[in-house]
Amino acid sequence: MGFTRYLLAALLALLSALPAASAMADLVVVVNAESGVERLDRDEVINIFLGRYRVFPSGLAALPIDQPANLPLKARFYRKLVNKDLDEINAYWARLVFSGKTSPPRQAASPAEVMAWLAANRGAIGYIERSMVDARLRIVLEFAP
Amino acid sequence: MTMRALWKHSLLFRSVAMIVAVSILSILLTVAITVVVTQKRAQEAAATRLNQLVDTVESTVQVACFVGDKTLAGEVAKGLLSNSEVLEVTILADKQELARKRRAGMSQAEADHAPSLTRDIHSPFNPAQVVGSIRIAPDQQNVERSIVEEVRFVALQSGWQLTLLALVMVEAMLLFILHPIKAMSDRLHHMDARAGDRLPGLKGYVAHTEIGRLVDDINTLAGDLVASLEEERTLRLQRETDEKKYHAIFDNAESGIFVLDGEGQVSSCNPAFTRLLGVPGNVASECALRLGKLSWENPLRLAAMIQEALHDNKPVAEDLCLRLEDGASRWLSLILSPIGDNLLQGVAHDVTGLKEAESSAKRLALTDPLTGVANRLGLEARMHALVKNFTFTQRGGFVLMLVDLDGFKGINEGMGRPAGDEMLKVTTSRLAHCVGSGDSVARLAADTFGIVLHGVTRGEDADRVAGCIQQALSQNHFIEGSPVRLHASIGIALFPDDGSDVPTLQRHAELALDKAKAAGGNTAVFFDPAMAEAAEQRRHMENDMRQALRDGDFRLYLQPIVDLRGNHIAGAEALIRWQHPIRGLIPPDAFIPISEQTGLINDIGLWMLDAACAQLAVWEQAGQTLHLSINVSARQIPEGLPPSKLLEALQQHGISPARLALEITEGVLLHDIEKALAWLRAVREMGCRVYLDDFGTGYSSLSYLKHFPVDTLKVDKSFVQDMHVHANERALVEAVVAMGKSLGLDVVAEGVESAQQVQLLREMDCRYVQGYYFSRPVPADDFDIAAARVAALLAVPA
Repeated sequence: MGFTRYLLAALLALLSALPAASAMADLVVVVNAESGVERLDRDEVINIFLGRYRVFPSGLAALPIDQPANLPLKARFYRKLVNKDLDEINAYWARLVFSGKTSPPRQAASPAEVMAWLAANRGAIGYIERSMVDARLRIVLEFAP
Repeated sequence: MTMRALWKHSLLFRSVAMIVAVSILSILLTVAITVVVTQKRAQEAAATRLNQLVDTVESTVQVACFVGDKTLAGEVAKGLLSNSEVLEVTILADKQELARKRRAGMSQAEADHAPSLTRDIHSPFNPAQVVGSIRIAPDQQNVERSIVEEVRFVALQSGWQLTLLALVMVEAMLLFILHPIKAMSDRLHHMDARAGDRLPGLKGYVAHTEIGRLVDDINTLAGDLVASLEEERTLRLQRETDEKKYHAIFDNAESGIFVLDGEGQVSSCNPAFTRLLGVPGNVASECALRLGKLSWENPLRLAAMIQEALHDNKPVAEDLCLRLEDGASRWLSLILSPIGDNLLQGVAHDVTGLKEAESSAKRLALTDPLTGVANRLGLEARMHALVKNFTFTQRGGFVLMLVDLDGFKGINEGMGRPAGDEMLKVTTSRLAHCVGSGDSVARLAADTFGIVLHGVTRGEDADRVAGCIQQALSQNHFIEGSPVRLHASIGIALFPDDGSDVPTLQRHAELALDKAKAAGGNTAVFFDPAMAEAAEQRRHMENDMRQALRDGDFRLYLQPIVDLRGNHIAGAEALIRWQHPIRGLIPPDAFIPISEQTGLINDIGLWMLDAACAQLAVWEQAGQTLHLSINVSARQIPEGLPPSKLLEALQQHGISPARLALEITEGVLLHDIEKALAWLRAVREMGCRVYLDDFGTGYSSLSYLKHFPVDTLKVDKSFVQDMHVHANERALVEAVVAMGKSLGLDVVAEGVESAQQVQLLREMDCRYVQGYYFSRPVPADDFDIAAARVAALLAVPA
């Protein structure tokens, strides 16, 4: 009966751990609730964040905001979005910066600043942990776990 | 030399030309292939390089296209143009041209014309999403340059390789093939194979190659050719020699050789043929003559020969007689052999000599060489001809006369053969004198002549000729000074009266001749049918005698011989009688002469001997010591009764030879004296006694008594019977007795018929007597009775 007890314990541990992990990794793309944007697909998000089109489908100019680079959140976002690490993203931006036609998303200094900008700008778009979402924001894209 | 001539005559030129042509062709082909391949390869290589070039900038172009960054795109395009192969770069993003950069100095058309490279550009974040495209036009001239370079290189390389190869091949051909062949050819031009020249064997590196073998083959071939030529030459010489030889044979042959056609036209012949025919022309080509025009004795025969030979297609041979211009005739033996094409090959020999010899031999066969008149064959031929003629005409009989010289044997022996031959010649001429010109005289045997009197049918005419012959022969003929007279016995037979064919006529003439001789000779006798009858009887008798010998019909008779001195029977003379089944008892006179003529006497004599010995054996058994004498004919001596047979018979019956006496006559001594003497001596040595019978009737020559060893003389009965009448006879018997006494011979007096004669003989002291007085001959079985009678007679004193 000892073995059954251990197995049961292990299963319980696993079940308790999974919701915690998903809660931790649960990134969502959010926009200002007043922006009028309801949903965005992944390509629309990519186009906005990687500088191709900086407008929402409604014609509203979009203002993408990056989390601070030292936070794992940013790396996790790009990994989820385009499956690239930050170095690659940086190299990408390095080529574009040269021509000056477009620029990388505004770099926030902290998550709070992200939240602030999101709230302050109608066209702002950013990514945050789900737990951070409040009424001022609207989730337009959720990444599958 | 033109190219064409060079091509035609020079193997080297041809080879080189072909090698050069092939080389150029292959170079062109190689270049063409190289152009195609190189072009393709260059294009591919250019495309690869362009692709690689695009690869190096792709990520940047992706970014540029993704965000539609013209600056970035322009930079990339500029960078790409730095590659010499790139002529123009165009970057498009979602139909919008981001950048178009072209090398300076190049026109738009040029760029459009070139086969450009276009690649889609995907989003850097989504490989499935096309966000633009890049198009690069390569610098075509650059590609073509490299192709030209490549082709030039390849052409150059294969050019010198092929050139080198061609050079090496040419050199090799020259070295290995052409030069040896040229050398061989040059050598062959001047080579005299018949003088023994041959190609020198190749040395070194070509010795064992095909060329080397070719040299060997040529030499072998040359050898074979030369050998063949030699052989041919030898054959030709041989043929020429043969031809000459045959020509010489043809020209010099003794036989005529010729060829003629079915018309008898001679087309060729040798000189001998013209000589044989007696026609001019000795040259073979002048043989235009027709055989039929010559004067043959039988021209039809020649034509028939030619036809026969041609028709039957086989050789025909015949002897033909040709009349020559000088009148002589020549016999030619012609042999015609068909040789086809209606021609005949002929050979002619002169057989005149042969023909003459043949007829001479024929004559000889019918002629007696000694006298020159016909022989038996000749006479027979004449008679056959006459008989044949008679059967056709029924006219013309003839007479056959056989003339036998009496005593000719004596002349031959007494005077020698040459004298005899001369007498025969004389006789021939005398005979010829007596006959006519149409008659024939022939010598048939030693001293027998035959005469055919042609046309004589009457006996008188024949008799006249016979008289003439006897008259002529009786003329004296002197041989070595001695006169010789001949007498002839002549037998005559007439044709057809005395015989209708030649053998019968001859037989009958011989019978007549026998009759004439039997009559003492010097006479002519005509054939009489009775003679033939007698002859027939003789033949019958002969057969009967043979039968009698087989059947035992002969009987032994005995006549006692008395010893007057001892007054007792001394023995007997054995005599023979024939108990004929039909004719009864036949005395010996009736058959002994015939048996002597036919030779049967020998068989009869042996029967006599056997019977006498048997009788002696009977006496021997009875204890009687009597002698028995048997008569031996002259014909039996010596072969008919050989001493060995005598001895054999005596021994068979166990008889002492001294008991048997053999009575012979003087006639025995007239034939072959030597043989008779030998026989006499032999039988006397054996122990038999010999009596000389009929003493006094024949020659009775005293010299015979001296020469011939006999034991006893038998005085002939003719003397004894007349003894008491004629004093002469008595004196003769007395003389014989006295002579016998003085010679130591016994004497037997035969034919004693009376006591008076016995008395006389006693007085003469003749010891032995034999005769009817004492006993007739009696059958052997009755001898004892006769003996008893004799004893009774002797007991009565005379």
